[in-house]
Amino acid sequence: MKSKIKLWLEDGTIDIFIGYKTVKGHPLPHCFTLSNLEEIDELIVGPFRYPLEGIATDIASEQPNAKIGILVRDCNTRALNVLYIWNQLDRNNIKTVTVNCCPSPLKQHGDCSYLEPEKAGNYKKQVGLDSNMDTASLEAFGQEELLGRWMYEFQKCIKCYGCRNICPVCFCKECSLEHPDLVEPGKLPPDVPIFHLVRAVHMAGRCIDCGLCEDACPMDIPLRLLYRKVNEIVLDVFDYDTGTNPDQSPFSVLGDEVTLEPKPLEVA
Amino acid sequence: MECKFVPSVCSYCGTGCGVLFEVINGKIKKTLPMKSHPVNQGKLCIKGWNLHEHVNSFMRLKSPLVRENGRLQKATWNEAIQITAEKLKKISDTYGPDSIGVLVSAKMTNEENYLAQKFTRAVIGTNNVDHCARL
Repeated sequence: MKSKIKLWLEDGTIDIFIGYKTVKGHPLPHCFTLSNLEEIDELIVGPFRYPLEGIATDIASEQPNAKIGILVRDCNTRALNVLYIWNQLDRNNIKTVTVNCCPSPLKQHGDCSYLEPEKAGNYKKQVGLDSNMDTASLEAFGQEELLGRWMYEFQKCIKCYGCRNICPVCFCKECSLEHPDLVEPGKLPPDVPIFHLVRAVHMAGRCIDCGLCEDACPMDIPLRLLYRKVNEIVLDVFDYDTGTNPDQSPFSVLGDEVTLEPKPLEVA
Repeated sequence: MECKFVPSVCSYCGTGCGVLFEVINGKIKKTLPMKSHPVNQGKLCIKGWNLHEHVNSFMRLKSPLVRENGRLQKATWNEAIQITAEKLKKISDTYGPDSIGVLVSAKMTNEENYLAQKFTRAVIGTNNVDHCARL
């Protein structure tokens, strides 16, 4: 793998390679370029995860023609697909090196910080939602209790915007979470559940289920579960499987042709 | 094309969360939490997430300013320190050392804060020293 990346850098296939390197004992993201070619031997692969494709988006926004190599797991691949679709990255400029990810019958061994998420405590299990649950077992609570449990989780929010900031597919210049009419500035705790639902709605057809938001949440809100539920609806209703295909346009989920008759907007 | 990641410690409060600056072409683009840091374990508060903003702020003071005839003028460090020392001495002589108070900052190092309190107590001669992180 290292020699392949070295070769790519040398023959100009890529200008920069985003991977990981140990710095002062911490596995940190690192950019390998032709000028520090000898460092490529220090490239490491492990369970640590940073939003590498978010970094690629930042590089591309500074230098749109940069050819970027990137170390990817399955979640990174899905994120890249979403970023291609939304024109944040040019797929001709991206080269990927695939590494081990979540275990499956084909791949027994997996490297992911999310393989063993934190276990929920007793109180969280009693009144809140366990992050390790699946969407099907959510339904077992019944509408009313489920709302109460979600509200318990949401009211813990300290409005750090960490879920948005770490998100590899959050690239909008203007964010609804900063719109004063939707989320009152300076109000803490934020209005629940509107804050989380605004984000959840925007994650429909965007979220690639990488779990970085939940990793970054200081209050252990089961965000991954929430966005998984939202995406399930997108899959059921529109048959849109987010991130699996770099060709499905998010603008044609309803089909290629408009079947509704265009009408002038009614002025109230 | 230059892109590097600089590990650092958040300067906003005394907790000491590990942060990682994403520096692209010499400019800090983003602050990320350091996932392997024992203090914050990959989490940050809103201030930490926006740590790069005060570095990049256009309001940031880059050289000392001295008020002359009601307007702030750029000055050298020597001039500014000389004027400050003279004025502090004058105030201390006229109204006594307890007329001066010093507020130090969480955005500097422990050692600098130590020096600031030493300066306040030993040089100026007052106990009026406080810190913004002593919430």
